[in-house]
Amino acid sequence: MNDDNVLVSAGDLTKVYTTGTLEVPALRGVTMDVRQGEFLSIVGPSGSGKTTLLNLIGALDSITGGQLRVLGRDMRGLSRRQRADLRLTSIGFVFQAYNLVPVLTARENVEFVLELQGAGSERARRAHEVLEDLGLGEYADRRPLEMSGGQQQRVAVARAVASKPRLIVADEPTANLDGENAEILLRMMRRLNAEHGTTFILSTHDPRVVAHTRRVVTLVDGRVHEDREQTPRDVDTALN
Amino acid sequence: MIGRISAKYAFRSLGRHPRRTVLSILGVGIGCALGMIAVAYYGGAAEMQIRAACESGTGHLRIVPDGWTETQENSLRLTDWQAALAAARKTPHLKSAAVRARVNGLLAFGNRTAGVEVLGVLPNVEREANRIVAKSELEGRYLQPGDRGAVVIGKALARRLDVELDDDLMVTLSGQDEMRSAMWRIVGILATGSREIDESICHVLLEELNEVSGFDAAGEIALLLDDHEFIEPAREYLDERLGQRNTVITWKQINRAVAANIEGDTAFINLMSAIVVLVVILGITSAQLAAVLERRKEFAILTAVGLKARHLTGVLMLEALLTGVAGAVAAMLLGGPVAYWIATEGINIGEFFGGEFAMEGVLFDPIIYGDFGPWIILYALSVSVAGTLAAMIYPAWFAVRTNPADALRTV
Repeated sequence: MNDDNVLVSAGDLTKVYTTGTLEVPALRGVTMDVRQGEFLSIVGPSGSGKTTLLNLIGALDSITGGQLRVLGRDMRGLSRRQRADLRLTSIGFVFQAYNLVPVLTARENVEFVLELQGAGSERARRAHEVLEDLGLGEYADRRPLEMSGGQQQRVAVARAVASKPRLIVADEPTANLDGENAEILLRMMRRLNAEHGTTFILSTHDPRVVAHTRRVVTLVDGRVHEDREQTPRDVDTALN
Repeated sequence: MIGRISAKYAFRSLGRHPRRTVLSILGVGIGCALGMIAVAYYGGAAEMQIRAACESGTGHLRIVPDGWTETQENSLRLTDWQAALAAARKTPHLKSAAVRARVNGLLAFGNRTAGVEVLGVLPNVEREANRIVAKSELEGRYLQPGDRGAVVIGKALARRLDVELDDDLMVTLSGQDEMRSAMWRIVGILATGSREIDESICHVLLEELNEVSGFDAAGEIALLLDDHEFIEPAREYLDERLGQRNTVITWKQINRAVAANIEGDTAFINLMSAIVVLVVILGITSAQLAAVLERRKEFAILTAVGLKARHLTGVLMLEALLTGVAGAVAAMLLGGPVAYWIATEGINIGEFFGGEFAMEGVLFDPIIYGDFGPWIILYALSVSVAGTLAAMIYPAWFAVRTNPADALRTV
């Protein structure tokens, strides 16, 4: 595999949270690569460092030690503004819940991100296109409270992909969804992965999510405990 | 630059907690309305005091002899007063130019005497320029051109001397080089309602005063302008034309107590307005900070998807701006009618003083009418918007400093 295809490269990555005099290590030396087009899940028990790793990859937080390159950028020296620029242009986010702006409609939530990117008159068309593409056209003018949790989460995915990012990080995206909605969401993500080559990194406790992913990285106590590939047959077997 | 969706976000966010938003708007509106009413009232009161001071004989400007400001000596006379009067009459925005002279004297009737400052006037101009003449109750008549040997005195002075119309007063004056005496007949008795002023009124024709006292020139020219705003340009105009021979002074240099009173009132009301606005700002800051804390996770998520500090600040400031504009409308609805009522009906402060009241020889109006005009809109908008924007500074600073990862982890 060509190194140009590596979107994320972590080497002995550490993250320590400091609360007063107390230091809490969240990551204790994570080494892993994520390549273009992967659909991988990061699993592990609570407190294993899944969300911390996603926050670092998503340029939401600064690293404490080791190395991390995301989309060719060395994350060690990036300022807050540079990290914000990187997120805005190249990374999409899907969070566990409460992730849409409640006072905006589905279409406006999608348009908002495009507006932040400086998109002009084409943003309304693009928002409409994405929502239609993901089967959410009929919800375009609804506000989050007028939609189910599953519909909200699908709009959140639409928002994340609207700006055509190369990488999408999703933190426990199915945690608040029932089985049917989780399945719809995951199939939608897989379709985006397959059709557009968008790279997805999902943190999860949910075996349904794991079953959809080709690669599973297991974190335990801030370290990579296991990093295994699943063949398409494994995935199909698990899903059926 | 705030985009369309960002503007919608800011606008609709105000509707998340309607009661809190309404209370914030009311807080801003009430504070702003209080300030507006106070400024309208004191603005009107200040205008009234300035007008009263200037119309009570002082004039907006007065041309006096060199050295008068230091000594206030009544024996000083203007240099080439007719040239000074000619220049005064060409002053821009001039309403009237009253030529006068003052001489210290003693009035006597029978065994009663009273020390007075006799004022020599041109009667037609004085009636127009001096509210003490124009607005007072007059028993008998005022002076007329050619009224030689006639005098008009105040009611309190008449009582003190126990005189009435057509009585003849013995007057002794500090003449130019010696004491001079004459007999003057009382043709009018003025009653202003102020004992202080009524005890000081003693008017005769300027030519009569000069003839009796031996002086042959005017002692002052009082200029009344269309508005006190024209004082400085008019003063500059006169300074250029009078040269070094005479001096131009303003009403503030004559009625120092009135001027100090106005300045004190203005400073006090500005301080009170500032305190009210500050309290309102602190209240709004508290409410806005609570609102920002509630939305901390939302801001974290928006920051994660690319919302930058500049943009977030813009959104929050737009919310503050909208609150401020609504507060200004509330202020105009709440304070506007009160300010209008004060401006049209007025507040009768004469009731507190038992009728007319005076200070430093100035006859004040008993009813104060507030200031009302388009400035109220500008005041409400500027105070309300500036207040709410100031109130949002700390919450906005707090919001943009939020680390999205921390907020997502801890909220």
